[in-house]
Amino acid sequence: MLAHFSVAFAAFVLAIILGEWQMFVRSPLHAWVNNPEHYYRSVTMHGTAMAYVLPTLIAMGFGYAITELALKRPLIGVRWAWGGFWLVIAGTLMASTPVALGKASVLYTFYPPMIGSPFFYLGVVLVVVGSWIWVALMSINLRAWRTENPGQTVPLAMFGNVAGAYLWAWTSIGAAIEILFLILPVALGFKDTIDAGLSRVFFSWTLHAIVYFWLMPTYIAFYTIVPRAVGGRLYSDTMGRVAFVLFLVFSMPIGIHHLFADPQVGAGFKFVHAVFTAMVSVPTLLTVFTIVASLEIAARLRGGKGLVGWVKALPWDRPMMLAVTFSFIMLGLGGAGGIINMSYQLNETVHNTQWVTGHFHLIFGGAIVIMYLMIAYELWPQLTNCAPLPRRLINTQLWLWFIGMLVLSLPWHWVGLLGMPRRMAYFDYTHPDLHAQAWTVTVSTFGGLLLVISALLFVFILVRARKSTARPDPFAFSVSLDAGVKTPVALNGFGIWVGMMIALTVVNYGFPIAQLAVLKDTNVPAIPVGGR
Amino acid sequence: MSLCALAAVSILVGFIWLPSAQGDFSAQGLWASICRAAGVPAEWGETTSTAPKSDLRSTRVVLERAMGRQGSNDAVGRGATIALQQCTMCHGAQGVSSADTPNLAGQYREVIIKQLIDYKSGDRRSSSVMQALATNLSDRNIEDLAAYYASLAKTRNTPTVNIGNVPALVRVGDPIRNIAPCASCHGGIDHKLGTPWLEGMAQKYLQDQLHAFASGARRNDSHAQMRNMARQMTSAEIAEISDFYARPEQESGGS
Repeated sequence: MLAHFSVAFAAFVLAIILGEWQMFVRSPLHAWVNNPEHYYRSVTMHGTAMAYVLPTLIAMGFGYAITELALKRPLIGVRWAWGGFWLVIAGTLMASTPVALGKASVLYTFYPPMIGSPFFYLGVVLVVVGSWIWVALMSINLRAWRTENPGQTVPLAMFGNVAGAYLWAWTSIGAAIEILFLILPVALGFKDTIDAGLSRVFFSWTLHAIVYFWLMPTYIAFYTIVPRAVGGRLYSDTMGRVAFVLFLVFSMPIGIHHLFADPQVGAGFKFVHAVFTAMVSVPTLLTVFTIVASLEIAARLRGGKGLVGWVKALPWDRPMMLAVTFSFIMLGLGGAGGIINMSYQLNETVHNTQWVTGHFHLIFGGAIVIMYLMIAYELWPQLTNCAPLPRRLINTQLWLWFIGMLVLSLPWHWVGLLGMPRRMAYFDYTHPDLHAQAWTVTVSTFGGLLLVISALLFVFILVRARKSTARPDPFAFSVSLDAGVKTPVALNGFGIWVGMMIALTVVNYGFPIAQLAVLKDTNVPAIPVGGR
Repeated sequence: MSLCALAAVSILVGFIWLPSAQGDFSAQGLWASICRAAGVPAEWGETTSTAPKSDLRSTRVVLERAMGRQGSNDAVGRGATIALQQCTMCHGAQGVSSADTPNLAGQYREVIIKQLIDYKSGDRRSSSVMQALATNLSDRNIEDLAAYYASLAKTRNTPTVNIGNVPALVRVGDPIRNIAPCASCHGGIDHKLGTPWLEGMAQKYLQDQLHAFASGARRNDSHAQMRNMARQMTSAEIAEISDFYARPEQESGGS
C-alpha cells in the first residue's frame, strides 16, 4: 500500500501544480501564453493524473490494506499485486509521455473523433488492466476468507472494498471497449473514420460510475474509520451495507446524463437515466445520516447534551473531526450541484460551462480527496512504523485544503452560471462583456494557490514522519452499535446486486448501444491531434 | 421488485407520457413516438429525398486522413506534366505565382484535392477560369496534381506565434465574436486537415477570398467555418490579416 500511495501522491502533487498553472495563465493575472495547445496539454495531463492515476492507486492500495487488516490474514497473490502495481506505473509513463510531447492533447475524456498518439490510449489500457488484477485479488481473497469462515459476516470495510472492486470491474468495461475497438484502430492507422457517437456512449458507461469507484475509499473511511477516530461507534453497520450495495446497483447504468446534449441518444433514455441518477443520491443521504448519528454517539459519550448542543462536545481538535466536517460540507454543496446537473432541463443551463468544472473540483477534489488524505494519515504509522504525526500541522493542512477548495470552486460555479464556457484556453478580459467576470477567475487562482500549499504541506508531513521505536498499535476499524445482530444474507454477498447492476445496464444501455452499432453512416472522419 | 417497478415507471414516463406532450414526437402515433424517444432515426417531415438540398450544401468533399498522405513518385511525375501544360501560366513555373493567384508550392495535398473537386463540381464558384479548367480533370489528374504541388518546397515556413507583431486575430482570435485564432487551424499553433497554408500568399488573393467568405459569395467551406469568421471581421482586420500572411520573406521573425 505504501508504494501505491507514494506514487499516487507524487502524481497528485505534479498534477496539482499543473492545475494551478492552468488557472493562473487563464486568469487576468497573467498575459496569455499565446499557445492554447500548451494549455490543453496541461489539462490533459492534469485530468489523466487526477482521474486515472491518483484514485486508482488509492483504491488499490487501500484495498490491499483493508484485505489484510479487516480479514486479519496476509494477502493472497502478493506477487500479482505487485504485477498490477507495475502495470499501473508502466501505463502512467506510457500515457504521460505523448501528452507531455503534445501528441495527445485530447483531454482525459478522449473526445473522439479527435485522435491522439496510440501510446496514450495504450497507457490508459495498462493502468486499467493493472486495476483489474486488483479486482481479481479482492474477489479471490474474500472467497478464501469465506471458505475459512463459513457463515460469518464479512467485515464492513471489506464488504465496501469488494463492492467498489466489482463496480469498477463492470464500469471500466465501457471505456475499455471504446479504446480497444473504436479508438485504437484509428490511432494505429488501420481506419480513418470512427463512430464518435458510439464511442461517447461507451465512455459514458464508465464516466459516471468511475466517480463512485473514486468515492468508495472515502465512504469506507466514513463508516469504518471515522467513528473510531472520533471516539464513537458506528450507528448502523447494516445501513453501511445498504449504502454500498445501492452504489453497486445504481452507479453505473446512469451515465447517459453525461450525454444530455448528444443527438445520437434518444430523449426517452436520457429521461430514464436522469431518474436513476436521482436514485444514486439515496446512498449518500443514508451515509450522511448514519455518520452524523455516529458522531452524535461520540459527542454524547463525551458528555454532550441537548438537541444540537452535543455538537460542541465533539473532539474538534482531532484531524479526523475536521476532515469529516469539511468533507460533508463540500459533499452537500457539490451534491446539490450534482442534482442540478442530473436534472435534464436544468442541465441545459450549465452544460459546457465552468459550473461543471467547479462542481467536480468541489465534490471530488474537495469531499473525496480530503478523506484520501486522512486515510493516508491514519495508515501511515502502520505502513512506515512512524511516530504519531504532528496534529496541529495536519489540522492546518486540512483547513488550507477546505478553504482553498471553497475559494477555488465557489466563484467557479458562479461564473459558470454567468455563462463562461469550459475548456477554453483564452479569455479577453478587456472586453466589456467579460470584464465583470474577471474577478471570479482571479479569486479561483488564489484558492488554487492555497491548495498547492496544502498539498505540499501534506507531502511534507508524511515525508518528515519520524521513525518510532515502538510498534504501532494494531489498526482498529469502527465498532458498530448493531455489532451482534445477524446480517441478512443479501447484505453479506454481492450476487444479487451485481445481477441487478447488469440487468439495469442492459435495460438502460442495451438499445442505444445496439442501435448505434447497427446503424450505417454513423462514422465520421478522425481528426488527428498533435501534428499531421 | 422495486427496481423493476422504478424502471417500468420511468420507462412509461420517458417513452410514452412525456413524448405525448410534444407535438412533433407524437404526430405519427404511439409506436412512432416511442421510437422517437428511443432515438431511432426517422424522417421528421414530409420530405421524400434524403439528400441535402443543393443550395444548402457547401462541399461534397469529405476530408479523410489518407488524402493528406504523400503521393507516390509516379503521381508526382504525372502531376508535374499536367501542371506544366495547364497551371504554370497563372500559378508560376515553380508553383509560386507572380500574379495574384495563390501559390501552390508546398500546399497540403488534401487542400488541393478539395479545392479542385469543389471547382469541378461547382461548389466553388469564385473563379470561372478554374471552373473551366477543373471540368476536364479526372479524379486521378486531381490526385496527381495535388501530389506534385505538395512535394514542392513551401515559400515560407510558419513563424512562431511569440513574435511581437503578430496580429491579435492570428494569435488569439476573438472568442467573443466566435473567431478562432488563424494560427490554430492554418499553422503556428496547430494545423487542421484540409486547411490551406497561407504563408506568402498574394495579399490581394487573401483579401478577396476573405471578403468572398464574408459576403457568402464563396461557400465551399464545410460547416461555414470560414464564412462564420470572415463575416465577423471588419474590413480593416481583413486587410491587416492579409498583409500579415503576405508579408515578404525578410520581415518574418522566425524560421
